[in-house]
Amino acid sequence: MTQDAAITMRNVVKRFGGNTVLRGVDLDVRHGEVTCLIGPSGSGKSTLLRCAAFLEEHDDGIIRIGGAPIGYDAAADGSRTRLPPGEIARVRRSIGMVFQQFNLWPHMTALGNVAEGLRQVLRLPKREAQDRAMAHLTRVGLAERASFYPSQLSGGQQQRVAIARALAMDPKIMLFDEPTSSLDPELTGEVLTVMRDLAAEGMTMLVVTHEIGFAAHVGQHIVFLDEGRIALEGRAGEVFRKPWHPRMAQFLQTYLDRGASVLLEG
Amino acid sequence: MTWIHVYLLAVGAVVTAGLSVVSITIGLAIGISVCAASLAKSAPLRVLARLYVSFFRGVPLLVLLLLIYHLLPQIGIDVPGTVAALVGLTLCTSAYQAETLRGGFVNIAPGLVEAGRMIGLSPAQILVRIRAPIALRLTLPALVNEAIMILKASSLVSVVGVGDITRTAQNLSSSTFRPIEMFATAGLFYLLLNIVVARGGNGLGRMLGLRG
Amino acid sequence: MNFDALIEALPEIIDGLEVTIAIWLAGCLFGPLLGLAIALGRQFGPRWLDRGLWAFVEVIRGTPFLVQMFLLYYGGPFIGLDLDPTPAGLLGLIVYGAAYFSEILRGGLIAVPKGHVEAALCVGLDRGQVIRRILLPEMTLLVLPACVNMWVVLLKETAILSIITVPEFTLAVTAFGSATFAFTQSAAVLALAYWGLTELTGRLGRSLEARFDRFRLV
Repeated sequence: MTQDAAITMRNVVKRFGGNTVLRGVDLDVRHGEVTCLIGPSGSGKSTLLRCAAFLEEHDDGIIRIGGAPIGYDAAADGSRTRLPPGEIARVRRSIGMVFQQFNLWPHMTALGNVAEGLRQVLRLPKREAQDRAMAHLTRVGLAERASFYPSQLSGGQQQRVAIARALAMDPKIMLFDEPTSSLDPELTGEVLTVMRDLAAEGMTMLVVTHEIGFAAHVGQHIVFLDEGRIALEGRAGEVFRKPWHPRMAQFLQTYLDRGASVLLEG
Repeated sequence: MTWIHVYLLAVGAVVTAGLSVVSITIGLAIGISVCAASLAKSAPLRVLARLYVSFFRGVPLLVLLLLIYHLLPQIGIDVPGTVAALVGLTLCTSAYQAETLRGGFVNIAPGLVEAGRMIGLSPAQILVRIRAPIALRLTLPALVNEAIMILKASSLVSVVGVGDITRTAQNLSSSTFRPIEMFATAGLFYLLLNIVVARGGNGLGRMLGLRG
Repeated sequence: MNFDALIEALPEIIDGLEVTIAIWLAGCLFGPLLGLAIALGRQFGPRWLDRGLWAFVEVIRGTPFLVQMFLLYYGGPFIGLDLDPTPAGLLGLIVYGAAYFSEILRGGLIAVPKGHVEAALCVGLDRGQVIRRILLPEMTLLVLPACVNMWVVLLKETAILSIITVPEFTLAVTAFGSATFAFTQSAAVLALAYWGLTELTGRLGRSLEARFDRFRLV
């Protein structure tokens, strides 16, 4: 086990009823790297990401965040023990998450959304929390929208606020669950730009995405998931230039057919 | 129809408004508790909450009032008709409010709660800071409707002798032999009170900063 | 409880239950029909009709059913509408229900996606056909839950008719209660009986909704 890995997953299994979504996934996410999870819909990418945040409870296997197990720890006899809620919350503190549906709280302003964790979790004084929240809004280019409610913001702006909200808690790792999938095409750019900047600053990122262009350009480690298993993984350049796995080749072809080839060239 | 009649009906309107305000307020407190029970982990608690809601929503208010009016003295609680009426109205509206609130809580997008867990809010903080305000946002229009409904339903307290708008109109109608004027004016008073409640609901919505 | 008295009163109580159910079913059927007429009149009629019907609906929905019944039953004779309790109750319940149903149905009409109507016009259906073949069926699907709710409300409102002496279930049972001084017991019997009936109606309604569920796109 690589102790220096940001996230390690060993034999992660997840079932929904009789449906097995993850069939024993082993994954290492390295510090300072952008890992992109790609694959056809229903392949289990989002579930895997949500397991890493323990928003879904994995039915088997162990997931470690910065070396600390989240949700379940391995017992001496090989079985698993459920960790107490306080411990789960503690481990989760090093993760920030960005959702497909933004999930901004509709009754709080953009600033209120970003400041909420600073006030309620870190217990910062009001002024300091607002100043720090403002700094994070500035970072995603939305300082002048601070007093707007989510309903008054475009999808792209909402997602940038959501990124600021996650960053405000100073996470070591950022998880992105299809962050641009519910955006109009012309709004994806602004979100991807923020993510690219974040990657350039050396943030550890695990990104579930359909944006093959983003994965090819920004992703360093590419993981192709198919039917609940990792079918292929490797460095971005190799995986996209020589997609030797037939399913991966087929998957990429559908994107190339849509004209994404231009994006892969660069 | 003279000003005296209008004045008497207005006094009745004050009684109606008072009954409604008290029963809605206490009903909300009970409704919140029943709603909490209906969302609790404990199965017996959930069953009890479901029975409570089903019973008080399923029985006509008139029958409920008759039952309470006759039952209270029999179990040794001797109270005036007004109190029996208040108890009936409160139980009825609490069940409706519990159900409305439950709908609000159930319909909160799960992602909003997950976002709270991800930034480290405790379950109690998520309830107070996220779930409760959003549930209130979702249900305020329905709660205002419920207030208007109980306002109208309170006319039934006239059968246990409470001098509300309807009872006053009945008395005036039989003493003046002018039922049309009396009951039509009574109706106008109800419409007026409705408008006040609806306006109040809008104002409350603005005050709480609820937006679409 | 006095069982001999109960057996003696039983036929009257059963008659009362029949009256309740008959009036209720009439309200459940004719309320929506009249409501549909109001909704269509408001939606497709001239502006003055929309205005007039709006005012009527708001007045009915804004005042207690009991006050409406008093107005109809005690005020009616002054304007040549001298009805016995039962017809007055029947008329009152239908009109009352119609006001609520018209709002439910209008909401349903508005909620039918415009594109479905446009698609129907594009394949050559005329206005009447669009209403009959597209709007009404789709609307029915949308309004079913609200209608079930309203049917339950109507059942409960029938109890109020006892106050204007319609010989229905509540009146029959309370009369028995007064005669035998079993006030509390008779009220309890009433409560349980109505609870059972409303619960049953709700369940039937939900199974009806489940049946129609396969037509739902979302």
